[in-house]
Amino acid sequence: MKRVLLFAAALPLIAAPNGSFLLRNVAIHPVAGPDLPNGSILVEDGSIVDVGVRVAAPRDIRIIDGKGLHAYPGLIDSATEIGLSEIGSIRETNDVGELGQFNPQLRALIAVNPESEHIPVTRANGITSVITLPGAISGGRGAGAPPVIAGQAALIHLDGWTWAEMAVERSAAMQLIFPTLQTRPARSGAAEGAGPAISYNDAKRAYDQRLRELTDFFENARRYQKAKAAHSPGFKPDLHYEAMIPVLERKTPVLVMAVRERAIRDALRFGREQNIRLILAEPRDAAKLLPEIKASGFPVIAAPTLELPLEDDDAYDAAFTLPSQLYKAGIQFAFGSFGNQFARNLPYQAAAAVAFGLPWQEALRAVTLSAAEIWGVADRLGSLEKGKIADIMLTDGDPLETKTQVRQLFIAGRPVDLSNKQTRLYEKYMNRP
Amino acid sequence: MRRPGLAVLCAACAFAAPPTVIRNATILTVTKGTIPNGSILIRDGKIAAVGTGIEAPAGATVIDASGQYVMPGIIDCHSHIAAESINEGSVSVSSMVGIEDVLNPESIEIYRALAGGVTTANILHGSANSIGGKCVVIKLRWGKDAKRLLFEGATPGIKFALGENPKRAGSPSPSPLLVGRPLRYPATRMGVEDVIREAFLEAKEYQALWREYRDKIARGENAIPPRRDLKLEPLVEVLEGKRFVHAHCYRADEILMLLNVADEFGFKIRTLQHALEGYKVAKEIAAHGAGASTFSDWWSYKMEAFDAIPYNAAIMMRKGVLVSLNSDSAELMRRLNTEAAKTMKYGGLSETEALSLITINPAKQLAIDSRVGSIEAGKDADLTIYDKHPLSNYAKVQKVLIDGEVYFDRDRALSEQLQKEAEKQRLLEKEKRQRPQAGARRPS
Amino acid sequence: MLMKLSIFAGFCAALALASEPSAIAIHNARVFTGDGAALDQATVVIREGLIEAVGRNVAAPPDAWVIEGAGLTVYPGLIDGLSTWGVQQNAPSGPAPHARGPEDRPWTTTWISAADLVQPSDRRIEQFRSAGFTSAVVFPTRGIFAGQGSVINLAGDKPGQMVVASRVGQYVSLMSGSFASFPGSLMGVIAYIRQLELDAEHYRLVKTAYEKNPRGMQRPEYDRALDGLLASPRLLLPANRAVEIKRMIAFGAELKQPFVLYGMVEAYRAASELKAAGIPVLVNLRWPERARDADPEQVESYRVLEARDKAPSSPAALANAGVRFAFYSGGIERPRDLMRAVKRAIDAGLPYDAAVRALTLSPAEIYGVSDRLGSIDKGKIANLIVVKGNLFEDGAEVKYIIVDGVKYEPVPEPPQPAPAERLPTGGEDR
Repeated sequence: MKRVLLFAAALPLIAAPNGSFLLRNVAIHPVAGPDLPNGSILVEDGSIVDVGVRVAAPRDIRIIDGKGLHAYPGLIDSATEIGLSEIGSIRETNDVGELGQFNPQLRALIAVNPESEHIPVTRANGITSVITLPGAISGGRGAGAPPVIAGQAALIHLDGWTWAEMAVERSAAMQLIFPTLQTRPARSGAAEGAGPAISYNDAKRAYDQRLRELTDFFENARRYQKAKAAHSPGFKPDLHYEAMIPVLERKTPVLVMAVRERAIRDALRFGREQNIRLILAEPRDAAKLLPEIKASGFPVIAAPTLELPLEDDDAYDAAFTLPSQLYKAGIQFAFGSFGNQFARNLPYQAAAAVAFGLPWQEALRAVTLSAAEIWGVADRLGSLEKGKIADIMLTDGDPLETKTQVRQLFIAGRPVDLSNKQTRLYEKYMNRP
Repeated sequence: MRRPGLAVLCAACAFAAPPTVIRNATILTVTKGTIPNGSILIRDGKIAAVGTGIEAPAGATVIDASGQYVMPGIIDCHSHIAAESINEGSVSVSSMVGIEDVLNPESIEIYRALAGGVTTANILHGSANSIGGKCVVIKLRWGKDAKRLLFEGATPGIKFALGENPKRAGSPSPSPLLVGRPLRYPATRMGVEDVIREAFLEAKEYQALWREYRDKIARGENAIPPRRDLKLEPLVEVLEGKRFVHAHCYRADEILMLLNVADEFGFKIRTLQHALEGYKVAKEIAAHGAGASTFSDWWSYKMEAFDAIPYNAAIMMRKGVLVSLNSDSAELMRRLNTEAAKTMKYGGLSETEALSLITINPAKQLAIDSRVGSIEAGKDADLTIYDKHPLSNYAKVQKVLIDGEVYFDRDRALSEQLQKEAEKQRLLEKEKRQRPQAGARRPS
Repeated sequence: MLMKLSIFAGFCAALALASEPSAIAIHNARVFTGDGAALDQATVVIREGLIEAVGRNVAAPPDAWVIEGAGLTVYPGLIDGLSTWGVQQNAPSGPAPHARGPEDRPWTTTWISAADLVQPSDRRIEQFRSAGFTSAVVFPTRGIFAGQGSVINLAGDKPGQMVVASRVGQYVSLMSGSFASFPGSLMGVIAYIRQLELDAEHYRLVKTAYEKNPRGMQRPEYDRALDGLLASPRLLLPANRAVEIKRMIAFGAELKQPFVLYGMVEAYRAASELKAAGIPVLVNLRWPERARDADPEQVESYRVLEARDKAPSSPAALANAGVRFAFYSGGIERPRDLMRAVKRAIDAGLPYDAAVRALTLSPAEIYGVSDRLGSIDKGKIANLIVVKGNLFEDGAEVKYIIVDGVKYEPVPEPPQPAPAERLPTGGEDR
């Protein structure tokens, strides 16, 4: 019975949403600096104003007793479809993967459903913000050329009445799904013998063709940029190319999904040639290209740790050890779930990497501050520091361990309801006579 | 008097492998508590003794597990590894097919599951049919051939499937590759029930036909046996309690439906697989006596999984259902220990309860608990050794024993990997040398 | 000497007129009888299509055309152990009928016999005869139960002249149809074969009882699929990987008929199991190779690489273990490649004698026709070849091919068309 009332205990806090409080008596894990075994965090209007052993606070501020719990920055998931996709197998509930090859003008943010069940479920385990991606993470929408530029990914808080309120970065990155060389046509469902194998020559030709089309697209975008700047006669605004300008100006990074060695290598070269900022996403073959990735200076959103090795002959722990290899090579990286269903398990992806060689502090960083740095929001998120947004989770232990409970969560200083459909069903059916 | 006995003993020793002692470990027996600094003596593939103060007999292999944790080898109640077919999806009832015919003992999935601590797995037919094919329980004896994978004496099983998967072939597919394929009954949950009831009606008739034949023979009459029907025979075995039904199901209503159908025909459902809404009808499941084998926290991938909650296992357990956690995935299979830990977070199960979900409970569900599922004297020496407590995300499997033989050793695995890579490189180079260069120098 | 020369000249003239001698003698040659060591300075006498005599002290009869065999070797005519030479099967028209279960007998044509499909005009007959093949065990190969194979000689104007034995075994493949039609999986095919066997057995019981006394009994339903299965003296089942070989050994034990396994890529890993099971096998000479148009960055698995490396050693392993095996062409298109493939097996450790046997006496034994074919023994069908050099070596030259006692000369191989665009291999890996 005690367990069932856990969520009821959180209720009084929800009653005071003004984003200002003094959180006392917590063990503080700032990530950006050394831990404080016991201290306080002062939050005003949703921002962290002070962190320390002893913190001066306005007299009438609400005081929250942390009861010796552990304060961590809210976790950041660097690859999800949260708000854009509800039930994987039902197309009507998915808004990822639009038709068309080059769609830089599409904006994931405006399609986010703030009522998605994934939001309360995911944040219940301490994830306070996520990158949500416009391009389908697995597969495309059907026949025709697969998407290459899928649109603009957004960084959103997992709390807010509308997507506008949820937005942290409206256009956090341009999602680019790098072409792949297909010697086998993609299989659909359980159809066996889905067509004959394609010869390498033909596949290479198709691949080169698609790379050319991508390069051409960038060339056209540059021409547009120049024409616009020069106020050329007959210039007409074009939403597609307009959206490319921040990319060309290196203001918006390109999140490039490149999984296998060839794609990673060619993506790196493409990034160099085009002089754009890249973030490598899900580079499962990264272990084969560590020096190249390091030399490029581009950061990585690591593929889920909890994955099978790609090839039969790969070491059984190939995916488990990859994050520590990235770390040892000095490559900046963060973790992403690459999906919705298991986004709440983001910290356990990090923990698995710790089991296989990644230092614990680095693992924590990869779901907090490193992610914030990669997304260019380290001035606002990722650590418990003065001036940052008050995204704070309170746990009864190590957040990377499964048994740990998230007891309280604050997003932008607002206490967040940790209950969700699942906790309500739990209570309901536990109490079935 | 003594001498002949000794001679016999020594002769036996010559054939049997030397005994093994696992020493100085924290032993999580699951059924008989935790032994903080104990040892396990293994003889002839069985656990001979568990406890403190066990002396290693002369000639014994010693595994020093200081600082490490030993638990029973994990049992996965729902797996599709090591098989070259998973579904015979062309027909509504495919009980004539069997996984045992297509076991692949060389599948790397076996090795990887072993490296995740699994020693026994229930290999099931897929979920494309209301009544699917026959299933088999295996031990992950990596390196042995198909016959030696089989868990000797385990009751054979058969797979049923309810809900979205078996009715998918009843609707036109959106996939361009499957355009024009004929639709297969059923297309609704109502049809799923119908398929099962029709099949069992047929099975009862078949059973009667054979009974009639056997009676005739018993009376000394001349009779030709009926034609054997491989589709109906496993269903008769179900009716006679000789074959376990493992039924893939999600929604509460279909779970109830199946329990009712089973009652109608007088047989029991052995396990409800997935049963993601099992928590809603835990009372009925417990009353029927079915076990439930579920995921820790899967949800939202299908409509029927939208009410799935991570508290499922805990609720069902508290309501008296025998619950296990399974993987249904070659990837998840390697982490059932950390999956079990989730039931402590979601539902407040104790450590022992959590561990039982992947050891003694699935053993009981498969009726192999006299052999495996806990660390007790007399049981098979199927053991997994971790470097940290298995319910911690930081734990790694160090060694896995099956029948007292070490089948996985992380230290050896790392050096074997290097060897294999070198050997592969050698083969690649040899092939390159033998390949004609571009601009053939060999006459065509 | 003069007499022999004149006979020889007469022989050449006679050849131009395509008339046949009443007897042929190959004099003073090295003769591989087909089981065991070769005989030196031996003579073979052929009369009316059969071998009349063979031995060291055999004299050429006065009416025989004599082939001077000094410096030449005589081998039994080679037999392709599993072939489609001469068998033309039309591609099925339209989509396959939808099968709802085993009762629809999917992909089953057990009653077909290759003897009824033989086309003497098939170019491959002449092409491979010229390389030394005098017989082939040809099969229909379409479907799960494709039909029965026949032993045919590779010469003749009418199929009836070519057939040595018309029903020597049922060709079985483990193909599964699409997802939507039964069987849609390997499990399904195996279950189907098992059910068909049971149905055939039941059918036989019922038919026998009915024939004895039909009164008062339900008559058995006519089922030509079952009749065809019951008429098969043996089944041919496919198995390449070690897992498949062991699986088929276990499965084959369930069958009523004896069975033969064909394929055998990984036989080097299962030779002792095959020996213990006592079953004969057919080894595909088309050794596995890396695909021509493979992605150069795609590194295959160790298993695949190892099988490619070791497959040619399978015959040696089988020979060492004492397993009876025969070679088959596996669709190799050029006779020269076929010979080279055998050479690879010899280079990988197969004794020369065993290689010859695998293409002569062993296939005859496996198919139950060794009492009339497969070796140079008195009374057997006169199928043999006269070779300059050692068969399977690069320089070997087939001089004459004798089929059913009729002498043929080799027809030169057609020029090789320009090879398809070669892909970069070897050092171009990027």
